[in-house]
Amino acid sequence: MNVGVANDMSIFSLVAGASLPVQLVMVILLITSLFSWWYIFIKVATVKRAETNAEDFEKAFWTGGDLNKLYEGLSVGRRKPQGMASIFEAGFKEYARHKQQGRTEVSDIMEGTRRAMRAAYNREMDDLDAHLPFLASVGSVSPYIGLFGTVWGIMNSFRGLSSVAQATLSQVAPGIAEALIATAIGLFAAIPAVIAYNRFASSVDRLSVRYESFMEEFTNILQRKS
Amino acid sequence: MLKNYEKEISWKAGVYAIAVHLALLGGLLISFNWKAAHPVLNVAEVELWDSIPSSAPPPPPVIVPKIEPKVEPKIEPPPVVNEEPKPEPEAKVEEPKVDIALEKKKELEQKRLEEKAAKLEAEKLKKEKLDALRAELLKDEMRDNDKQLNDKKAKNDALKKLQQDLSAEGDQQALAAKASANAGVIDEYKRKIQDKIKGNVNNELCGDGKPVLKFKIDLLPSGELSGSPKLTKTSGLEACDDAVERAIMASQPLPLPDDVALKSQFRNLNLTFTPNN
Repeated sequence: MNVGVANDMSIFSLVAGASLPVQLVMVILLITSLFSWWYIFIKVATVKRAETNAEDFEKAFWTGGDLNKLYEGLSVGRRKPQGMASIFEAGFKEYARHKQQGRTEVSDIMEGTRRAMRAAYNREMDDLDAHLPFLASVGSVSPYIGLFGTVWGIMNSFRGLSSVAQATLSQVAPGIAEALIATAIGLFAAIPAVIAYNRFASSVDRLSVRYESFMEEFTNILQRKS
Repeated sequence: MLKNYEKEISWKAGVYAIAVHLALLGGLLISFNWKAAHPVLNVAEVELWDSIPSSAPPPPPVIVPKIEPKVEPKIEPPPVVNEEPKPEPEAKVEEPKVDIALEKKKELEQKRLEEKAAKLEAEKLKKEKLDALRAELLKDEMRDNDKQLNDKKAKNDALKKLQQDLSAEGDQQALAAKASANAGVIDEYKRKIQDKIKGNVNNELCGDGKPVLKFKIDLLPSGELSGSPKLTKTSGLEACDDAVERAIMASQPLPLPDDVALKSQFRNLNLTFTPNN
């Protein structure tokens, strides 16, 4: 907080001039922000892919082709089926096994199929929900971390002021400016995280509704077949 | 931490995230003018004002006496106006004479009345002519007066300008002279203050040596102390320091010059005492 610093208010010198706790807060917030943006971009891609997958599968399923063919097409594929396809695969596999074992009790078959599909559904939902808690906590906590850094920095700059006989604004201003950078970084991390969390949560909700209704419909179809 | 299917896009997402942060940093650097203005320059301006007020008062007294003569010529016209009412009483005195003549002879009344009426008319004409002449004279005089006034005004203005120029030129010399005179007065009163305090010091407390003390005191315009005196250089003898401090307190009110501008010079005083000299 020398006179030299007061003249050179570039953002780098402000960050370099901040006290150690404030710098620590800034580093933490920067890392958090990087991670949250990284997760945001990952989630954008995965959610989008899950939606297109569900659309494609529904189209393939409702065109009225043979379910056995559809199942073979999925299990032959190189990669593990995802989303709606994996639910279908789990359900159909369980149904086929019951059929192979020669059980005739419809309620038993349907019960088993339902459980298998429910398990696959839970796995899918777990995948879709991944990283959302992180975004939620970044959105709610990082402003407070930034605020902590700012309060600390302002406390410091006022403490320095107490030793000076003639207090001028130029003695406090750099300290406050560099302290406020912490709040700025915190807000920059929090705002996109909150927006992304809300968007992804609603997308995941819609996908889960889609999966559940597919499960019900597929159960009906299997019940009619058996 | 990452699911298998997320690893494919993790690199891309990381690059995007870093790009976003770099973009924000760039935006900050471009949109803000991070070079602060000149905060240092403002500090020095305060002390300059101290000497100016003392130089401002002197000019007015020089100009004031020269404005007074300018007021006198304006009073001159009224005596000229006073001459007008004088002829009127003359006319009024003649009329009572006519009344007395009426009582003596009734037959001659009409003739005389006619004659006097004629005379009166003639007199009236004469009066009117006189009045007209006098009015003309008055107007001429007024014009002359106006001209004289204008001339005087012009002269006064010229004088004023000259005086102002002179005073402006003389200001610096006067200031220098005054400053030296002030310094003399200040020194004189400083000596007076020191003498007065010295008279109250109990010398016995200061030993046999030649102790030197320095005190810093703040004075009110009344000559009383504001706050307690501060010891800036001790004599080494605590008793002596206390004795001088008591003496300063006891010599209130301290002598101060009557000039208000000079009094401000005594607000903060640094006094040196050598009690044994």
